[in-house]
Amino acid sequence: MAELSTVARPYTKAAFESALEQKSLDQWSEMLGLAAQAAQDEQVAELLRNPALAAEQKAGLILDVCADKLSEQGQNFVKILAENKRLPVLPEISALFERLKSEQQKSVDVEITSAFALTKEQQTKLAQALGTKLDREVNITSSKDASLIGGLVIRTDDLVIDGSVRGKLQKLAEALSS
Amino acid sequence: MQQLNPSEISDLIKKRIDKLDVSSEAQNEGTVVSVSDGIIRIHGLADVMNGEMIEFPGGIYGMALNLEQDSVGAVVLGDYLGLKEGMTARCTGRILEVPVGNELLGRVVDTLGNPIDGKGELGTTETDAIEKVAPGVIWRQSVDQPMQTGYKAIDSMVPVGRGQRELIIGDRQTGKTAIAIDAIINQKNTGVKCVYVAIGQKQSTIAGIVRKLEEHGALDNTIIVAAGASDPAAMQYMAAYAGCTMGEYFRDRGEDALIVYDDLTKQAWAYRQTSLLLKRPPGREAYPGDVFYLHSRLLERAARVSVDYVEKFTNGEVKGKTGSLTALPIIETQGGDVSAFVPTNVISITDGQIFLETDLFNAGIRPAMNAGVSVSRVGGAAQSKIIKKLGGGIRLALAQYRELAAFSQFASDLDEATRKQLEHGQAVTELMKQKQFSPMSLAQMGLVLYTANEGFLEGIAINKILDFEAALLAYFASEHADLCKKIDESGAYNDDIAAEFKAGIEKFKSTQTW
Repeated sequence: MAELSTVARPYTKAAFESALEQKSLDQWSEMLGLAAQAAQDEQVAELLRNPALAAEQKAGLILDVCADKLSEQGQNFVKILAENKRLPVLPEISALFERLKSEQQKSVDVEITSAFALTKEQQTKLAQALGTKLDREVNITSSKDASLIGGLVIRTDDLVIDGSVRGKLQKLAEALSS
Repeated sequence: MQQLNPSEISDLIKKRIDKLDVSSEAQNEGTVVSVSDGIIRIHGLADVMNGEMIEFPGGIYGMALNLEQDSVGAVVLGDYLGLKEGMTARCTGRILEVPVGNELLGRVVDTLGNPIDGKGELGTTETDAIEKVAPGVIWRQSVDQPMQTGYKAIDSMVPVGRGQRELIIGDRQTGKTAIAIDAIINQKNTGVKCVYVAIGQKQSTIAGIVRKLEEHGALDNTIIVAAGASDPAAMQYMAAYAGCTMGEYFRDRGEDALIVYDDLTKQAWAYRQTSLLLKRPPGREAYPGDVFYLHSRLLERAARVSVDYVEKFTNGEVKGKTGSLTALPIIETQGGDVSAFVPTNVISITDGQIFLETDLFNAGIRPAMNAGVSVSRVGGAAQSKIIKKLGGGIRLALAQYRELAAFSQFASDLDEATRKQLEHGQAVTELMKQKQFSPMSLAQMGLVLYTANEGFLEGIAINKILDFEAALLAYFASEHADLCKKIDESGAYNDDIAAEFKAGIEKFKSTQTW
């Protein structure tokens, strides 16, 4: 995983900069998302790994699947990836691209896991509080996990704010056993 | 019924619950990508510091060593078999610390400061970081107090001062550890606190050393830090730093301490293993590029610090006292090769070396010190007066003897003066032999050196010299106890003492047998 993102970084950066220049961030993000999905498909992935196929054939495969959704630059991008035998890295590139995009747009994806479902009001309140803390526009995706017992866990990239009862109990257990 | 621990009293538990901070802080988390040979790669952990502790589920800790663009390389401190790919790893914001304090004396602990001697909890209240920067130049003071090892050969020819770093180097089975252990035993009544760091040794060897120290009553002022051969490599290489921190506790509080690293060769091996597994580029002998720094930063922490430093460190609680940490690192050479990478490094870092040789050891000269190449670069200033006055002749006699011995092998008949010098050299060589676990006091050493210098050994058969010495020491202990006590306390030497020595030895030679 770590090695993949090292490989994906230069490609993502190139794609992102070219997208910025043409002011087509959304189009690029869509294209990359689509290509990534195509590359992740089990049958396609197997073909991509097949050493008997030439680079052009593999590029053609992705291009055929995505059909007319790819712009000329998008097609060129896929061809370059195929030439360098980096097509399997597409999902990683897409993910990195999304991160760069949200950074550019000063927004951040936040995952909130709570013991009980959050009301709309609570969500907006949380979004506001997190927005000021992170200095970003916050897009919340929430999920429910009863094993937290109470409270909630907020997660964005590496940052984790654990305010769950389960987390507190774990802390207590560690403090008592040490 | 299960036994209750003392820590399980409900009041105590209640207090600990009250003290517990359950406020939810923002934390950095990452995912374990791979686990191999005690090395863990973690994805994420963008905010981790170099050397920071990382927490894994189940209370296992690691230390971040490699911070790379997309991953963090960490070593596990302890058992890594329970760790799996995909587990979360959390930053703790702390760097590695070990317990310090007087409570550690007499105990055997591992690298992390956990007691492993079965004597219960340590009861320490303080902890300190294992990696610290050595005191700077303005806080230091020159070495001018002796650290007696109890070996007449060492204290007279390669004296060690408090705050000095003196390397003990030699092949396997040449008595390196024996010298270090005797040096520790000799400190039992001097108030010098000792730390013995065992790195990569057999558990049985460590147990044997603990028992020996206990038998000689020296365990009570000694801390033993043990990282055995079966401990993870990371623990082995960090044991030296952990021990150093425990020793620094005394140095910083105006006391004198002695630390023995046994041995730094194995520590370098352990570090090499860790580094190679972390994919750091190998250099000479496959050691990583920073193996010199590994030892230099460790040995630099052994120092004599000034009154001001101690006062500043203790916020004025300890006044008018200097502190010192003396280091006796041990290096094991292979086939007497001192020009290998690690030995040359450590020789250049330390303030002198005690060089032990297999040939001498097998010839029965124990300690098997080669007096020609063993040096002490600062110890001379720290010698007590009596040893300084009387010990100079020994080095000279041995040097002349070595030269003549090589030369005289070609000559069949020698003139009187040369023959005498050869005999004197032989006698002094014989006199420098000393049994293990029998450290000598200042007065005893002074007496023996005086005997050699003034030619009282003449006419005594070589194989009788050690008997003569033992009898002489016993005679002085009973007949001149006051003198011995005076010398032991002050270390002084003057004409009166010389006269009493002379009279005593003459009387002994005329009245006693040996």
